[in-house]
Amino acid sequence: MENINFGIDLGTTNSGIGKFQAGKVNIYKNPVGFRDTLPSVIAYRNARILVGDKARELTSVQPENVFSSFKRKMGSEHTFHVPATQENKTAIDFSALVLKELINFVGDEKPSAAVITIPASFDTIQSNATKSAGYNAGLQEVLLLQEPIAACLAYANTQNISIDESKNWLVYDFGGGTFDVALVSINNRELKVIDHEGNNFLGGLDIDNLILEHLFCPVLEKELGTENLWKQMVSAEKGIYSKLFFELLYRAEEAKKELSIKESVFVELELDLASKFIEFEITRQQFNELIHPKVDETVKLTKRLLEKNNISNQQVERIILVGGTTYIPYVKEYLHQEFESTVDSSIDPTTAIIVGASYYAGTKNKQNLSTQVAEIKEDLPAKLQDVKLVYEVNSQDNEELLTGFVPNEFSGYYRVTRTDGGFDTGLISFHSKFNEFLKLVPKTSNFFNVKIFDKHQILVFEKENLSINHGIYNISGQPLPNDICLEVDDTLGTTYLERVFRKNDILPLSKKLYKTISKTILKNSGEKLIINIVEGKAETSPASNLCIGYLEINSEDLSANLLKGTDIEIDFDISESRDLTVNIYIGAINLEISQVFNASAKQVSITKLRLELEKSLTNIDYEIEEFSNNHQEDIADRLNDVRIEIIELLKALIDIEDDLVTDKIYNIDERKRKAFQVYDDLVRRKNVIAEIEEYQAYKMEIKEDLLLKPNPKIEHVFNNIIKNEAQFLNSNQTSIIKSKTKELQKISQEIYYQHDEAYVNLFYQYAYKDISEYSNESIAKKHILNGERAVKEVKYAELKAIISALYHLLKVKPRDYFEDKNGTLGLK
Amino acid sequence: MKDIITQIFEIENKIKPEDFAPFKRNFQRIYHELEEEGYIIVNPKDQPYDERDASIEANILNENGSNLRISKVLKPTIYKNEGGNRVLIQKAVVIVE
Repeated sequence: MENINFGIDLGTTNSGIGKFQAGKVNIYKNPVGFRDTLPSVIAYRNARILVGDKARELTSVQPENVFSSFKRKMGSEHTFHVPATQENKTAIDFSALVLKELINFVGDEKPSAAVITIPASFDTIQSNATKSAGYNAGLQEVLLLQEPIAACLAYANTQNISIDESKNWLVYDFGGGTFDVALVSINNRELKVIDHEGNNFLGGLDIDNLILEHLFCPVLEKELGTENLWKQMVSAEKGIYSKLFFELLYRAEEAKKELSIKESVFVELELDLASKFIEFEITRQQFNELIHPKVDETVKLTKRLLEKNNISNQQVERIILVGGTTYIPYVKEYLHQEFESTVDSSIDPTTAIIVGASYYAGTKNKQNLSTQVAEIKEDLPAKLQDVKLVYEVNSQDNEELLTGFVPNEFSGYYRVTRTDGGFDTGLISFHSKFNEFLKLVPKTSNFFNVKIFDKHQILVFEKENLSINHGIYNISGQPLPNDICLEVDDTLGTTYLERVFRKNDILPLSKKLYKTISKTILKNSGEKLIINIVEGKAETSPASNLCIGYLEINSEDLSANLLKGTDIEIDFDISESRDLTVNIYIGAINLEISQVFNASAKQVSITKLRLELEKSLTNIDYEIEEFSNNHQEDIADRLNDVRIEIIELLKALIDIEDDLVTDKIYNIDERKRKAFQVYDDLVRRKNVIAEIEEYQAYKMEIKEDLLLKPNPKIEHVFNNIIKNEAQFLNSNQTSIIKSKTKELQKISQEIYYQHDEAYVNLFYQYAYKDISEYSNESIAKKHILNGERAVKEVKYAELKAIISALYHLLKVKPRDYFEDKNGTLGLK
Repeated sequence: MKDIITQIFEIENKIKPEDFAPFKRNFQRIYHELEEEGYIIVNPKDQPYDERDASIEANILNENGSNLRISKVLKPTIYKNEGGNRVLIQKAVVIVE
């Protein structure tokens, strides 16, 4: 038979829901705001019903329409008048709303039965009222559990404490607004609340107020030159200090939290009235003295409880802590000092009751539900058909209108939430049609869930992930015909294109890129930093694209040396008429350059052209040879044509060296691009595939090595490298894939050198070097002899030291294969 | 991370508008890097108060409740992109009047 599994803490100030699953309790977070708990507050505003945080925040604006602490009226005749709707509601009605909201936290598998906790003080009528609230919220079965028992179960289950022996526990529950203490007897797995005490108006909020009144106000009075600041802030008449009150209350709460971890805190306050910041220290000692009377009050109530029941301190085996206020270390210390029992704070006191209720629910079978379900099924409202939702998919506005149409004179409620938890309309009643302006997070996609409920607030329609994009698409502008890219250095001495704007992005466009300098450019060294912006395809070679912005920063123009690794900030703006503006800022040498490139004036640099052509010759020779070896003569022949064209272009470049008048250079540039495009078509794809294969081979090798000899550190680095694999393997950029392969090779080497035997190999690499390569031949020979002995005697530590000594003796040190190469452009 | 972001936000707000120019690029860069890490930070200052906005925790001063605006932001709203989903990780703490 199925278990109930769901546990609910229906609290006076906060509520929560959990589920027992596979031996553990999972606490559901509020999908709006993602907190573990929900304030038990209901508000009515602008025809909406709000539950939780947003309801509580309206307390000061329209207190007559906000309802909290209604649990205290549970089971009484008391009715609450709601001016906004002109209705009368009971504590059961409000509790049902809270419960429905909690049930909403649970994803698809909504609970049909649950354990709900009640205070130890609840009588039969109050208990039955709680059950009614559960049924009204749509639960078919409700089991009640006293809160102190739930807390004991939470502690016992999480810590596997035996509850077979007979003992007494105190459940000390100090929450945000109330204090309760209960004496629980445990005997042979039976838990029973013997007696309880409490104060309905003592909680964490009182402590925040104390901090504000006694620790903040005296300092502020001096600064502001005023007296009776506390009274002025809290007086019914709103004065200049009312605003300060909320800010101070927030700071007080923060200070309280921090003091639970640290011995002292600095509180910093912005005084708008005096336009300055003030800072002062509060020590835990001061804080403890301040809160002592409040904590002492709880201790007195606890002592009274024990006395009433003739229980001595020694008979209390354990005090378990519940409620957020018990986070304060002094509470724990003082309890320990006064009762000399174990004070157990091993689990989260704010969710302990939910955890306990869920453990209990995990042991209880659902009863006779099958027949009830059958009956209820007949009554279930039919899901709504033909609901029409009308909205714009793309928007430039901060809010976008959603209109919903439901046919057949439907009356009920709707609710729209944003899936990121930042927007919630609350429940709103409507007839046939509703309009709601949905708030959008700027420059991103926004997803909403739309729910429609019938008159009894039963879900009858749901549309998930309705998507509205904000500011991603500008509807009116022209699209870019090609990618706009920046040429950047890789770590292998070659360059590739980084896409700045994508083909079909809509003009105007702007973007900021942060790059680093890839080679040191000393002042007046003749070196230069090259910014080359091209239009074309990001996945092709830089030289096959059209240059639309070209800028050289010469070493002569630098105010100081530009060092490798310096940050450079580049802003790109493209106007609707396709003018490109580039702003360059190098903070380290305080260099700022702004340049506008007009689309009609082409940018061609002879130096760069020559460099590109020369560099390609070496590559093309290699490729021709390879294709010939693989008997692909047709491709080799076509590449040879490209080679001839490149040589001709180089010759042509020499001819026009001093030609500043004609447009021959543009002709050469055009021919160069065509030649590179042919080269790209013939070769690039093959190289990308080869590169991917090499990457995959290294990846598999490392995976196998890690499987045989797990190493968390290396595994972490490995996972980081392969994290965005799909992205870089599909980039079509050999440079990018190659640099990832290089990182994998580095790991592979690291794994190799984890085995001591690897050093034997390395030693012989040094031993077989020509002895003249060492600066001191006799010492080197001695090291080599010692090394050979160390190998024989398997003394690897000694061998490592010898290798290191030999390395230092080398006249020319071997190059580190993994070291990044200097860039050619100077930008990476 | 959200505590670090809140500290950055506090530092930014402590600088007077007339002294802000030299720091502007630094803050832009910090926010850019945070965005790259998936954090979206929203400062709701001067927005009209909206009871549907669950990304803020408001302390409302003006008791007659008309023309409410966010006059001060003590903590910004922070969202985090995780596996393609955006999730609210910190509500803004604001004063509304």
